[in-house]
Amino acid sequence: MRAVFGVLAAGLGLLGLGLPVLAHHSGAAVFDSTKKIDLTGVVTKMEWVNPHAHFYIDVKDSTGKVTNWNLELASPSILVRNGWKRNSVREGDMVTVTGSRARDNSNFGIAQTIVFPDGHKLNFLSAFEDGK
Amino acid sequence: MRKHLVTGFAVTAAALAVASLFAQTPDGAAQGKAKGKGGAAKGGVGLYQRQPPAPTGPAPKLADGTPDLSGVWLGSGASDADISRALKPGDSVVMLPWAEALVKTRQSKDDPESNCLPAGIPRGSPYPWRIAQTPGIYFIVFEGNIHSWRQIFMDGRKHPDDPEPAWYGNSIGRFDGPTWVVDTVGFKDKFWFDYVGHPHTEKLHTTERYTRTDMGNMSIEVTIDDPGAYAKPFTTVGRARIMAGTELLEYICQEDNFDLQHISGPAQGPGGSTR
Repeated sequence: MRAVFGVLAAGLGLLGLGLPVLAHHSGAAVFDSTKKIDLTGVVTKMEWVNPHAHFYIDVKDSTGKVTNWNLELASPSILVRNGWKRNSVREGDMVTVTGSRARDNSNFGIAQTIVFPDGHKLNFLSAFEDGK
Repeated sequence: MRKHLVTGFAVTAAALAVASLFAQTPDGAAQGKAKGKGGAAKGGVGLYQRQPPAPTGPAPKLADGTPDLSGVWLGSGASDADISRALKPGDSVVMLPWAEALVKTRQSKDDPESNCLPAGIPRGSPYPWRIAQTPGIYFIVFEGNIHSWRQIFMDGRKHPDDPEPAWYGNSIGRFDGPTWVVDTVGFKDKFWFDYVGHPHTEKLHTTERYTRTDMGNMSIEVTIDDPGAYAKPFTTVGRARIMAGTELLEYICQEDNFDLQHISGPAQGPGGSTR
């Protein structure tokens, strides 16, 4: 248990400090780690592209208004080495995404975790749920 | 949009994800500082998880006795977050006043790396690279670093008297015992040494020293001598590790660099560190 808390504390510390390097720029230059997002919606498109794969989801608020969000992942080369497939997230999938919003407050964020209705999870760079 | 406080699960998952991401930062495994048997940190190296352990055994040689540097490598000879972070003991980075002033004004959006332009020397990336040894000329082929390549002439030639300025300069190489020494001049003054924006001039002269210490590991030292921007030369230190079980994959940074329009703020490294 101590180890679990240790990892969590370390992770929280890192979250507090900023965001990950996104291979070709600092994550903190794009995303604001203090602007948390927690979005549930339907995937409208997956862009399996460099330098970062990203996907879009439609999120409906309590009034019925739909907002389309663009959510960022690591590069395809990193993702496939870590168990992702280009169709791991598909159009029509219902997903819940947590992460951080862009500094410019656009509807753009980093998808640090992606959870499907059956409970299986992906993250920004890996399909390995244990993170190992 | 549903937006509220993150749940305990989300925080835990995010923490693990971000912890993993930070493991690849230039002061981590991307410089070969992975922990554990075979250089693997719980099966992961840098951003890459569940990686096979690095091969073991003595450093290999080609049929003619030349050190065999082939393989897919992960790591670099310097901190790409801030070049002053990983120096030879006793060394320091002392910028000339104009360079010090420039660094303080640089913006992340202007980093050539963020614009899918070359990272130059010795800036690394979280992506692997390969050394290809052919008669008279060696190549370094990068998966990251905008999917580009360097050529290092090994046929005994000298640098041109007036080399055409280039992002990767003009490189000639030789062996000093087990160490591959690459001497480069003739740079354009475009690339940044790191995310925080350390600059250089066309007077830059780099000397890279690659030593395959065993089958799976390589030490890398790079001496930066640029009297146009720094008061004295300094030497960076880093490592690379063989990335087993993979080949170079395609990474065409220019394909859809949509992040660029969202980048703002001063030049900064992981966690927002600046000079």
